Amino acid sequence: MRIMKKTILFLALGFGGLLAAQTNAQLTRLDLQPTLSTNAPPAKAKAKVADAKPKPPTEIDSDSADFDLNAHLATYRNHVVVTDPKVRMTCEWMLVTLPSGGEHLSHVVATTNVVVDFTNEQGEKYHVTAAKAVYDYKVVNTVTNETVTFTGNPVVDTTNSTIYSEPMVWDRGRNHFLFTEPIMKSKDTGTNGPAQKLF
Amino acid sequence: MKFHAATFCPAVGAAIFLFAGTSDRAQSLPVGHATDFTSNQYFEPPNERLVKMKLSGAEALPLPGGLLDIRQLRVETFTLDGQTQVVVRAPQCNYSPFDGVANSAGHMELQSGDGKIHVQGEGFLWRQTSSSLTISNHVHTLIDMPGVMM
Repeated sequence: MRIMKKTILFLALGFGGLLAAQTNAQLTRLDLQPTLSTNAPPAKAKAKVADAKPKPPTEIDSDSADFDLNAHLATYRNHVVVTDPKVRMTCEWMLVTLPSGGEHLSHVVATTNVVVDFTNEQGEKYHVTAAKAVYDYKVVNTVTNETVTFTGNPVVDTTNSTIYSEPMVWDRGRNHFLFTEPIMKSKDTGTNGPAQKLF
Repeated sequence: MKFHAATFCPAVGAAIFLFAGTSDRAQSLPVGHATDFTSNQYFEPPNERLVKMKLSGAEALPLPGGLLDIRQLRVETFTLDGQTQVVVRAPQCNYSPFDGVANSAGHMELQSGDGKIHVQGEGFLWRQTSSSLTISNHVHTLIDMPGVMM
């Protein structure tokens, strides 16, 4: 797999903070929590155990929906809006695999004009757009893998920058983004210059 | 899926209402007004003694074409271990016992057996044979479990 062949560059920084780079890296990690040093070693992946903290229900609104009770599938169509306390997502089509007695949704596919807005723990706002987003949740040996993979011209827009990457993976368990050959436009310069490759 | 048996519990004044039998043979049609009825659908053999779906209503009125106008519809589906899978409720719907299809332009609600998923909307089509539900308008879902979406 192409990604596996790439050197993984760990960037310990916030979107509003510092950028550090290494050459020949095409897969980039961007942490969502601010870090003080650009020379910090790669952040250790923290194993996230199942979150037992209760949270308010997530709401899904749409024009129409189909439920297949045998296959445990819910398909939402047209003006789909997903909201919970931290995240808001809109799209035109969304397939949810409902857990059969499980405690956690494991697979969600959203397509067509996918827009995700969320605020991280530091209060930084993120605006992600893509043609498709796939949410996967898996627990292997007590380690939780929870990712959202954006494809179809994904763009993440923050206060200070706009980053393009195909694909773009939001690792929710480790709270960072993984970019492939990212291109960033900084908003700090206030210019409309051409987009530059990050690395 | 087939109706292998049906049971009804008509209240006072209720009457003549029966849709027993299987889908591949003629069913008895309701010929009158019924209240507080229940119809059970069973799993295929070898689990033919286990209830797969329970359809009940507060009132049923016969309509032309063999349809039934059901008030206070409640459809409950079960897993093989007897757990409630979902409960569907609607104040009113038209039900076709021949093909097991219920539909309405009105309000409906669905709740999962564990209570973690609640759906409501306006206008629906319930296909009994495939255990599928289409909600046409204003679908609102509450999911009370972690990691729903991004």
